[in-house]
Amino acid sequence: MNRTKVWATLAAIAMTVPGRAQEARSFYKVGVVTELSGDLATGGNVTKRGYDLWAQEVNATGGIVVGKKKYPVKLSYADAQSNPAQGAAAAERLITQEHVDFLLGPYSSGVTIAVGPVVEKYQVPMITGSAESPMIWLQKFKYTFGTIPPVNFTGAAAMRTLAALSPAPRTAVVFGSNDTFSKATATAFNSALEQLGIKVLKFNIVPEGQDLTPLLSAMKGMRPDIIAFGGHDEELIKLVKDLHQIDFTPKALLMHYGVTEPAFLEALKGDANQVFGGSVWTETTRTSSKVLWKDSPTYAAAAMKAFGVAADYTQGGCSAAGIAFQVALQKINAAPPLSDAKRVELAKALEAVDVESFYGRIKFATEGDYYHSNVGLSPLTVQIQNGVVKAVGPAKVAEAKALYPMTPWASR
Amino acid sequence: MELMPQALLDGIMLGAVYIIIAIAFSLVYGVMHVIDFAVGEWIMLGAFTGFHLTTWTRVDPFLLLPVVFILFAGLGYLIQPLLQRVISGHTGNPLLMGLVFTFGLSLMFRGLAQTLFGFYSHSIPSHFSTGSFFFQRGDFFLTVSTVRLAGLIYAGVITAALHYLLKYSDFGLGVRALAQHKEAAGLMGVNNKRTSASIYAVYTGTSAMTGVLIGTILSVSAKMGPEYTIFAFFVVVLAGMGYLAGVPAAALLLGIIQSVFLVYLDPGYTLLAVFALLYLILLVSPTGLFRKGV
Repeated sequence: MNRTKVWATLAAIAMTVPGRAQEARSFYKVGVVTELSGDLATGGNVTKRGYDLWAQEVNATGGIVVGKKKYPVKLSYADAQSNPAQGAAAAERLITQEHVDFLLGPYSSGVTIAVGPVVEKYQVPMITGSAESPMIWLQKFKYTFGTIPPVNFTGAAAMRTLAALSPAPRTAVVFGSNDTFSKATATAFNSALEQLGIKVLKFNIVPEGQDLTPLLSAMKGMRPDIIAFGGHDEELIKLVKDLHQIDFTPKALLMHYGVTEPAFLEALKGDANQVFGGSVWTETTRTSSKVLWKDSPTYAAAAMKAFGVAADYTQGGCSAAGIAFQVALQKINAAPPLSDAKRVELAKALEAVDVESFYGRIKFATEGDYYHSNVGLSPLTVQIQNGVVKAVGPAKVAEAKALYPMTPWASR
Repeated sequence: MELMPQALLDGIMLGAVYIIIAIAFSLVYGVMHVIDFAVGEWIMLGAFTGFHLTTWTRVDPFLLLPVVFILFAGLGYLIQPLLQRVISGHTGNPLLMGLVFTFGLSLMFRGLAQTLFGFYSHSIPSHFSTGSFFFQRGDFFLTVSTVRLAGLIYAGVITAALHYLLKYSDFGLGVRALAQHKEAAGLMGVNNKRTSASIYAVYTGTSAMTGVLIGTILSVSAKMGPEYTIFAFFVVVLAGMGYLAGVPAAALLLGIIQSVFLVYLDPGYTLLAVFALLYLILLVSPTGLFRKGV
């Protein structure tokens, strides 16, 4: 074989081996994998707002303080296109080609589960500020963390709030869209109802985007006290519209996520009122922090100023993810660029994080079914009242009394 | 059994939505032999236009349907010559080229919509959205949503109008002649370019109006297009490609099957059921339900 061919072969092999060269830089390069396009683009862009706001605020203070220096952060986005395989490929590209220091994670549970093995392989810590399926934490990924607890942690709380209302609900219908998060939500609702002794008349997982009018018409005949649904934004809007179209008002309508999104209220207007939801944070949740934003209203004001849109708990969770990294980096004195050993140390430092943020307490579980998910938060039951999301449960943190039973559509 | 009348009615209402999605798509395939991958995006753009016009003018979207039709018919008339050029080419497979062109259109429309209109879902408010009729006799009951009833009436009107246009008008005679034999029709004085552009205009205008209706019944978002493209394909293949008269029956069958599955069986298997039905029918009759497709 002649010399040219040998060098060409070696060069080709070198190009296929992921390089982990550490270029010198004075800023943190943060990879963000999220759904900027596709079916989940709405949620993905909520996460983008959260991550962007954290980066803006950190950089406004000069950067993350490590030792005596401040290091700004630069976000490097990769679009998962609402597709798990694309998300995994995007994460791999950020790690192997962009050489990011760590990752901020996807909106959806499906993409998070796909990205988990990638960050595990390269030992790059990732925090998702959004994904809530219990399936993620059951995988026991060492390098994946989440600032929002899973739905089986939060869903039960919402049901307990409803069960305590008067007249007590006796029956329920539960269904969820056929995706990782929504199925987990519906399952969590179902389990909670069974534990509370409320009879579940029907439990179904339905195809995503399915027109549910026939199912709802059948439910109308059963007259359940509670309708509980796990789904994403568009499905929630369609569900409320369908219920109004068939003129059926249950005593309580509970949905997870989506109801705190401004788009839900804008699309449904008065029909959005009195819908219940599950959350871990609202703009008026009582918190106190020394990191970046001092409390929830301060964060909410910053978010409104930056984007002109009210912040919801997913956006807040994403900003909190940045805070968790910030605190952990300071703890281990890790200046950029991070070496492989420092990333491993960063993952361990994240396990030890226990900080009060504007979002509430950030403390990741280190064992059990909620492994690496944030168990420092208290689940809230929220309800839309006159166009404003209010916490109505549990009693010790309620900002308003729950409006129950729901006012019939025709009377609104 | 007391749920059966409601399940059947809801199936018919669902089917009505599928009719209005698929009928214009079937028309353009039957006449121009173009598989328009952008049908869902025309529906989406129509929905957004209806949403913004309603917000701006505060006029009920049903009254804005003719405006939306004219706007999108004009747009379709202007775009059709590009499509004609692609499918009239002497290189490559014209059918595939048309498919690729319209696929590109759909990607472009979707990207433009996400950039211009954002990612949020919307709803088009209408005076019809909030009412329903309720009937009960013994254990049997029926709820009829007014907006879905309006959709059913719209589906009937559009189907009848297109049927009349094709069967009883001189324009329709020219369209059918072109579909049968382009050269012979040309020799008989049918202007291929103008007629094809007009039919495409009717298709885009009708699809856009359908989008407005879907926005009042369901919701509007930049990502809604592909779902309706799939439904359109499904109904048209079931009816028989190019067989317009089969579309209502195929759409209603699809709607009823879905409804029955949702109510009586496991909703998780709804899509499996409809695809299994399509598979079985195509095994027995590859040219569609009525054996009149191409």
